[in-house]
Amino acid sequence: MFSTLLEQVVNGIVTGSVYAIVAVGMTMIFGVLRAINFAHGEYYMLGTFGAWFATDYLGLSYEASIVVGVLSTVVVAYVVGQLVMRRMVGAPAESGVLATLGVALILQNTVIFVFGGGYKFFSGGYIEPVSILGFTLAEQRIIILVVCLLVFVGLELMVTYSRLGMAMRAVSQNVECCGVVGIDVPQVVLRTFVLGAALAALSGVLTAPVNVSVYGGMGELITFKTLPIIIMGGLGNVRGTFVAAMILGIAESLVATYIGLQYRDTVGFATLILMLMWRPHGLFSTQARF
Amino acid sequence: MTRTITRRFLLVSAAVVSTTIGAGSMTTVNAAETIKLGIVAPMSGPNARYGGFSMHGAELAVKDINDAGGINGMKIELFNADSQGTPVEGVSATRRLIDQDEVSFIIGDVSSSVTLAMQPVAEDAEVLLLNAASSNPKITYQAGVGGFKWTYRNYPTDENRALVVAKYAAEQRGFTKFAVLSVDSDYGRSAVTFTKKYLPDFKGEILSEDYYKEGEVDFRSVLAKIRDNGAQAIIMYGLADTTPIIARQILELGLAGKVTLIGNGEFNTEKTIKAAPKAMEGAIEAAAWLPQYDSPASKAFVEKFTAAYNEAPNNHAYVHWDTVNLLAQAIKEAGSADKEAVREALSKIKYKSPVGDVTFDDHNQARLPMILLQIENGKPSIKGAYTAEIQYPAN
Repeated sequence: MFSTLLEQVVNGIVTGSVYAIVAVGMTMIFGVLRAINFAHGEYYMLGTFGAWFATDYLGLSYEASIVVGVLSTVVVAYVVGQLVMRRMVGAPAESGVLATLGVALILQNTVIFVFGGGYKFFSGGYIEPVSILGFTLAEQRIIILVVCLLVFVGLELMVTYSRLGMAMRAVSQNVECCGVVGIDVPQVVLRTFVLGAALAALSGVLTAPVNVSVYGGMGELITFKTLPIIIMGGLGNVRGTFVAAMILGIAESLVATYIGLQYRDTVGFATLILMLMWRPHGLFSTQARF
Repeated sequence: MTRTITRRFLLVSAAVVSTTIGAGSMTTVNAAETIKLGIVAPMSGPNARYGGFSMHGAELAVKDINDAGGINGMKIELFNADSQGTPVEGVSATRRLIDQDEVSFIIGDVSSSVTLAMQPVAEDAEVLLLNAASSNPKITYQAGVGGFKWTYRNYPTDENRALVVAKYAAEQRGFTKFAVLSVDSDYGRSAVTFTKKYLPDFKGEILSEDYYKEGEVDFRSVLAKIRDNGAQAIIMYGLADTTPIIARQILELGLAGKVTLIGNGEFNTEKTIKAAPKAMEGAIEAAAWLPQYDSPASKAFVEKFTAAYNEAPNNHAYVHWDTVNLLAQAIKEAGSADKEAVREALSKIKYKSPVGDVTFDDHNQARLPMILLQIENGKPSIKGAYTAEIQYPAN
């Protein structure tokens, strides 16, 4: 009984790690742009497709495919950033919604057009089970967990000490003042966006071995799982996002075990509604802060 | 919020897909001499693979018929409409075929939920809806003497399938403890309903019951529950694309060899077995057809399909190919492409399909066998073909 509970909590933490890596990018982009990136899940999909292409067509190893997946997404994100995202600085909120939804459709349908709409089979990764704490887990899931921790420690250090990190915090607090003191706001937006997209891609590549299936529409579900997480965490709040992702991951896992798998997808928004009733400004604060 | 956005996603992608496809199927054949046949299938979305196979199957049959001079000199013109595997889009697709393309015959859809939604649309327009791949019994419970005069089905139902699988699992393999893990749709749920109807006859009991949404990727919680409740077999009426994921997670939880998958969901393809050979070993599946089926006509189809598309056909390719041929014979016997005449011919037809002779009962349901197979040493092995006369509830 207790061991089942423990196992499910660990499962939830692994799922939460995947959500956290995707969501943190989305929340950082919100921080500097004040716009929700509805195309965020597509970068997760692009990363996975890049890695699938690398292993299936180019015959590269899984490790190399991680690099290919992330780098190809960075290239796409850079182009989208130059053409779309940096123009959104100071634009009204609805243009952000329209633009990112448009980008999502274009990316998704381009991939379907090029590779076909069917499911692809991802063969790389470390799927052998290992036994810990009395239950088994694929090695890949341990990798996901470790990478998630590294990403968050890295981000924490970056936003605290690096020049880009400080600029990001500044932009998220007051765009006008940044202009006055000479911070290149569009440049900060572009870099934040590319970083966020790269993290989403990384998450995609890391999950591909355990999720096995790769298809054009896979990003949509991720976007909608991420949305309640970043709202719960407090939009723009990195630490809050991490906690919210873990809460959602664990809640989903427990619901799937004790209530039924069919209710899993309702957990995100149900938790969000409950949380908003209790703390309407998000779990932590209204202040967008890195 | 999400609902609006998802719908917008769907609408726009539907528009994109249908324009491309619409442009592709434009032909210059004279309308008076052609038979307009529409195919409703999921060409995008999670079931796009099924749609692709369905279309290829239908195209292959149409090409052969047209190359041989058509049916009584009339050529078949094929139209395609994307249902995206959802009832809403399936209904729009059906209306588009009827109103814009003015088809007289429709074959569709793969998904039972979509077919159920299409039935009243076809009935209103008096267009012959010939289903080739949906297995929910309700479709023909409510057809023929049950209601819809324009719906026919050339596919065995879940009732037949559930009975065949439950019987084999209990009698040949000695399973008594089962867990359910099926897709949350009319297909997944109805198959389980019928399994429950027959399971007590074989002293079987169900220990847990879960349904997954399309696109679900994490089954660890449910599989852990199944591991702990000691079920010997998982009753899985699922989607082909999800089977490899579940198989891999069975392996991950150390359940491979301890629990057997039974049901349907392309357990027999090379891709699925390769995902987790140890987890798939011993799996039992009932399918309407599979490429290994041993009959000359079936083998010839596999060969022709593989030559045309560089991949082996699946069940959906076969049933669509077969159903186009069935329709062609009905039109031939009717002597014209008049909808009413073809419908009459279909009710009386004796059609020789690669899996046996096909006739329709008074519910417009084809009498067809289910093929039972078991995965042995990483390869599907056919255990037999079973036909069951359906017992319709009195209405």
